Amino acid sequence: MHILVCVKQVPDAEAPFSIGSDGRSVNVAEGAWRLNGFDAFAVEEALRIRAAFPDTTVEALTVGPARASEVLRRAMAMGADRGIHILRPGEDDPLPGEVAALIASAVGGRRLDLILAGVMAEDDMQGQTGPMLAEHLSLPCATAVMAQEITPDGGTARVERELEGGFREALEVSLPALLTVQSGINHPRYPSLSHVLRSRTQPIEIIYAGRLPVPPRRERIVRVTRRETSGKTLFLAGTSLEKAEQLADYFLEKALL
Amino acid sequence: MGEGIAVIAESKGRPGPFTEEVIAFAQALREDPTAPVRVFVPGMGIGAHAHELARLPGVVVTGIEGESLACYNAEAWKTALAPPIAALKPRFICIAHSADGADFAPGLAVRLGAACITAVESFRRTGDAVTFTRSTLKGKLSVEIAPEAEMVVVTVLPGSFGREARPNPSPPTEEQEAMPKPVEVLGIPALPLKIRTLGILTAPDQAADLTAAEVIVAAGRGIGGKENLALLGRLGACFSRSTLGASRAVCDAGWLPRRFQVGQTGMRVSPRLYIACGISGAPQHLAGMRGSQSIVAINRDPQAAIFQVADVAVVEELVLFLPLLIEACQKRREIGGRR
Repeated sequence: MHILVCVKQVPDAEAPFSIGSDGRSVNVAEGAWRLNGFDAFAVEEALRIRAAFPDTTVEALTVGPARASEVLRRAMAMGADRGIHILRPGEDDPLPGEVAALIASAVGGRRLDLILAGVMAEDDMQGQTGPMLAEHLSLPCATAVMAQEITPDGGTARVERELEGGFREALEVSLPALLTVQSGINHPRYPSLSHVLRSRTQPIEIIYAGRLPVPPRRERIVRVTRRETSGKTLFLAGTSLEKAEQLADYFLEKALL
Repeated sequence: MGEGIAVIAESKGRPGPFTEEVIAFAQALREDPTAPVRVFVPGMGIGAHAHELARLPGVVVTGIEGESLACYNAEAWKTALAPPIAALKPRFICIAHSADGADFAPGLAVRLGAACITAVESFRRTGDAVTFTRSTLKGKLSVEIAPEAEMVVVTVLPGSFGREARPNPSPPTEEQEAMPKPVEVLGIPALPLKIRTLGILTAPDQAADLTAAEVIVAAGRGIGGKENLALLGRLGACFSRSTLGASRAVCDAGWLPRRFQVGQTGMRVSPRLYIACGISGAPQHLAGMRGSQSIVAINRDPQAAIFQVADVAVVEELVLFLPLLIEACQKRREIGGRR
């Protein structure tokens, strides 16, 4: 089987950041970039399928500037066989519609049995790239997948999607297909040192975004602002002990203790 | 351009309901308050559901019926909905950002050549221009996005377009009551599908008794490790009817079973007191607990989004702060017991 896993480089949400002078972009510290957590589950799931189906190759693909190749190295350190980097210079974050169109142009002609992606990116949280890519490639698609099992003939995936309120829905999807993986489907492995070393010499295929058809751009970011706390939020002040005493008093006032 | 706004109703029998909130969002969004909102209802045997929706003021209903629509199926939904929507050419297509909406909306947007903005919390109108606001970076940032296509597919994050923000629908006039609006129904032939729905399953473990608790002490990834759950348990024991809750990340890590998960895809709760410990506050989590009567958040990151909805905020290291808090609470309980 040929499995493609779409991965994204995202800033660590805990790292400091600032809003650019244009009011529309976000500046992130140099070392704060990492593999989108949801995509780590997708890479792990691909590796598990490869373990069950010999002769399977797992390729990781990303779209981004030069620094984004780090997440391909990370996916290969986890165990992916190859990397594909759609090199799109510039620090402006492309919109999901652009990313999906670029990936579709780049891999459209290739033989793929399964495409996996994280259910969303931790930074922009749109959850669009996967289902949009499936639509471009005319593949069936299931999102928020919490369990999957491929039939021995490799023709069908039995899938469980996450719904609200703890419910799931079972589906059968004909392959080739695209699945977006919800966090919690597995426990992504931590790369071993030997795999990390090996990943440095594994091949990365570079595709220049500028040589692909220009993707559509149907939205525009107008403004980025820090979320303010509502005026009603009371931040407790003082030493740790004083805060604990104030909070306990608050519970008492509310007749909760 | 034809009618301004379309809504795609959630099908019956799904977790929800979200459709009314999306209709209210669509009605607030329209420029001309007398223009009706067109609600598409895909399904099989939708008669009663469609007529119920058609009773809402300012709503016109188009049912789409076919065997292939008997239960939700992304492929069938896109195939059935794209042609009538393309013919109508609405400026806005509003869908709930539910598990189903998030599943088919982006693909539908591609098929229609429409812009797509998901998990929208609010909108802003300046003259003819409309921008949509949504959260990014675990809720720390708010991003305003302008669509740049003739049509735009918008998915509305459940619970964010609160009742207070909704326009007051005028009660139906006697005339409307007497003359229910007709429901147009389009039939579609059976579709060849690569996705087959097998049915809805309950989660592997039973729902915890989260909804009955007066106090929920909820753990986020910020508690640092499973071993620190005991601290949260001890805090919970200070209250009479309390239970533990958890963010998605905590259940993903296996620190607590899935039945403890609070949020859009977990349980929606509204206890008297919600104590969020080390929870960052992603919109999906907030959707499940913002109805709590009182929210206390403890987090070492002063920028954490959870503080946006908190009544009381404590910026502290949890493992150091919780023992102090537990002692302070126990002290007050003892005094109360002696009184």
